[in-house]
Amino acid sequence: MRALIAAATGLAVALALVFTLTALGSPAGETSPKPLLTTVPAHP
Amino acid sequence: MRRKASLILLAFAVFFAALSPMLRWYAFPRLAKIPANQYQDMVLEAKDATLLDYGTMKARKVSEVTIVQTLKGNVEASERIEKTAGRDVVVWDGLSYVQGPDGKMVSRIPERYIFDAHTQEPVHATGEMVDGDPVHREGIEFKWPFLTEKRDYEYFDAQTRTAAPIHYKGTEDFRGVEVYYFEQTIPWTKVPYPRTMPVDGVTPESLADTGTTRWYTTVRKFWVEPLTGAPVYGEEIHKEELRGGTLLGDRDKVTAFAGHVKMREDYIDYTVDLVKSNRTLVLLMTSYLPWGFLTLGILLLSLSLYLEARSRRPEDPAPAQTTEPEPVNA
Repeated sequence: MRALIAAATGLAVALALVFTLTALGSPAGETSPKPLLTTVPAHP
Repeated sequence: MRRKASLILLAFAVFFAALSPMLRWYAFPRLAKIPANQYQDMVLEAKDATLLDYGTMKARKVSEVTIVQTLKGNVEASERIEKTAGRDVVVWDGLSYVQGPDGKMVSRIPERYIFDAHTQEPVHATGEMVDGDPVHREGIEFKWPFLTEKRDYEYFDAQTRTAAPIHYKGTEDFRGVEVYYFEQTIPWTKVPYPRTMPVDGVTPESLADTGTTRWYTTVRKFWVEPLTGAPVYGEEIHKEELRGGTLLGDRDKVTAFAGHVKMREDYIDYTVDLVKSNRTLVLLMTSYLPWGFLTLGILLLSLSLYLEARSRRPEDPAPAQTTEPEPVNA
């Protein structure tokens, strides 16, 4: 019984971690202030 | 004590073993996405190209034609579309600016490309356009999906405003990176004039009035890094002609542009380095971490079982005591 509880705990923490990570995602940030280019840049 | 340690190890073993497939099959497809605020530029060149002189209406050889392509993620537009689309969306405002050897503008084609941040499938929303014309994109453009497959894809052609198959032609090594080579041929097709023409006073409408039409064909080649889906190199054998009408006098057709367009060398180096770095991140999520966690889970489970087995082993019997027989009293 104790082994089952230990395994369930491990599984629950793994699920919680993955769901939290995917729910948080990454911030969208802001639109770059750089313009659409009409001149040839010297380098990337 | 051993029993307690084996239970803790068992919990960790299950934790890592469960994390392994979930990271690969659940988290990766949701976390891998194109950032909404991405900004990137690219310079392509066509050496010894043919270009139409709109003054004389004759084709002439020029040393070089340069194409500057910019893609800029519009975060505000993507957030607005996400509210109705119900998924992560990227809006790229792009500009293909073509410049002749004298530095003067040859053409400028703006476009708005809206797509799913995870799958790169097109998302249809108001504002989707090429050179001001509303379009309904099918297929991919600029970038392939993460974990690109060895198969044909539909690729959107901005000149014809339609999608056509781009064929997988094989796997190659490009500067130390394994890439999939794709090729698409657009046959001669009548296409609209750009809204912005290189000569003042000449408009698409005034050209259309002469009955002269614009035709285009291209062979498009991409070398795509399959894990990231990012092209590391691209080429295009591009031809444009003006045909018929009163504008050409007694000629049937005249070449408007012909050239073999290739990425500029410094941009190739930059792109290869960038893709190599992003490739490592994708490998971390799809291979290194899942396999590492699985191995760790199996090791911890083995250790847990070993400790459990030892804790259940019966104690060694105590050494037999040699006692003197007690004297018996009669």
